[in-house]
Amino acid sequence: MKWRVLGLETHDAYFNMALDEAISESVRVGSSLPTIRFYNWSPNAVSIGYFQSIRDEVNLEVCRELGVDCIRRWTGGGAVYHDFEGEITYSVIAPAKLFPKNIIESYGLICGWLVKGLENLGIEAEFRPVNDILVKGKKISGSAQTRRGGILLQHGTLLYGLDLKTMFSVLNVSRQKITDKMIKSAEERVTCILEHSDAGKKEVYEAIVKSFTEGKDYEFAASSIDENKRARELSQEKYRSDEWMFLR
Amino acid sequence: MISYSSQKVKEGKIVKVETQFDNVITKLKISGDFFIHPEEILDDIEKSMLDLNRDVSFDTLVHKIHKIVNDHDAQMIGISPESLALVIRETLK
Repeated sequence: MKWRVLGLETHDAYFNMALDEAISESVRVGSSLPTIRFYNWSPNAVSIGYFQSIRDEVNLEVCRELGVDCIRRWTGGGAVYHDFEGEITYSVIAPAKLFPKNIIESYGLICGWLVKGLENLGIEAEFRPVNDILVKGKKISGSAQTRRGGILLQHGTLLYGLDLKTMFSVLNVSRQKITDKMIKSAEERVTCILEHSDAGKKEVYEAIVKSFTEGKDYEFAASSIDENKRARELSQEKYRSDEWMFLR
Repeated sequence: MISYSSQKVKEGKIVKVETQFDNVITKLKISGDFFIHPEEILDDIEKSMLDLNRDVSFDTLVHKIHKIVNDHDAQMIGISPESLALVIRETLK
């Protein structure tokens, strides 16, 4: 099985999520190879899980003030703050038949690639089911998966740096409640690359490209013209729409 | 009457249910940070609750959710038919 790798790109939240869906469609019809992509989010953004309510999870007023985008993902799971400086995001989009039918086993398989990447950086990490990767007991990565039309899409984050204050301000916790204690409590549960390594972001990216592609036949390529066109459509018509945003 | 319940269920995720009812359930919305594959069955689960009497038993709710899950060969992660039924039942008290 040959894979396509899309190297690190930066897009806004709507195009990022739309491109995952557009690639899922093209892999489904066989016009694109199974794909691994790496990307950043600019502007910074909050994504919520498919089943979440944006009014429950996101402080929309603070997001507007800070210029932070808000988006509903195609995948379940929780709300995530995506910081341009502090994160590398990956997506794996491939026929589901290439992965275990059991969802948790398939999380384990793909998260194992990221664990290996962290090992390449000298950071000992472990997969914790359902969908987390921990370093010294603290979360450094979370992932979410969907399977539609026979295609598995798993995307996930790798925390490079932490900006907990902004994270708490955009998620739905009132400003009065953003206490030092709350931040300290989060610091006890969440970690990032910079707490364990001096590696630059580029070095981290190269380490995970190596681990995600190890043992695979692959080629670096760009998303196709059709995929980009479809992603622009989905970005405008679906992911930016109030209907999608306020689905629940 | 509109009733709301939010619980961290034993399978690990947060489940929120908003129910509107008089004698029967007229509207029900489920949200949370769980996973269901395929995702669309949550709409079927919500629809299956409509017109049920507000005194509907926990066992009946579980049975209805299980049937939809089994009919679609679905997988629930971080949530189960039993824990979802528990939160729904809570809103009907």
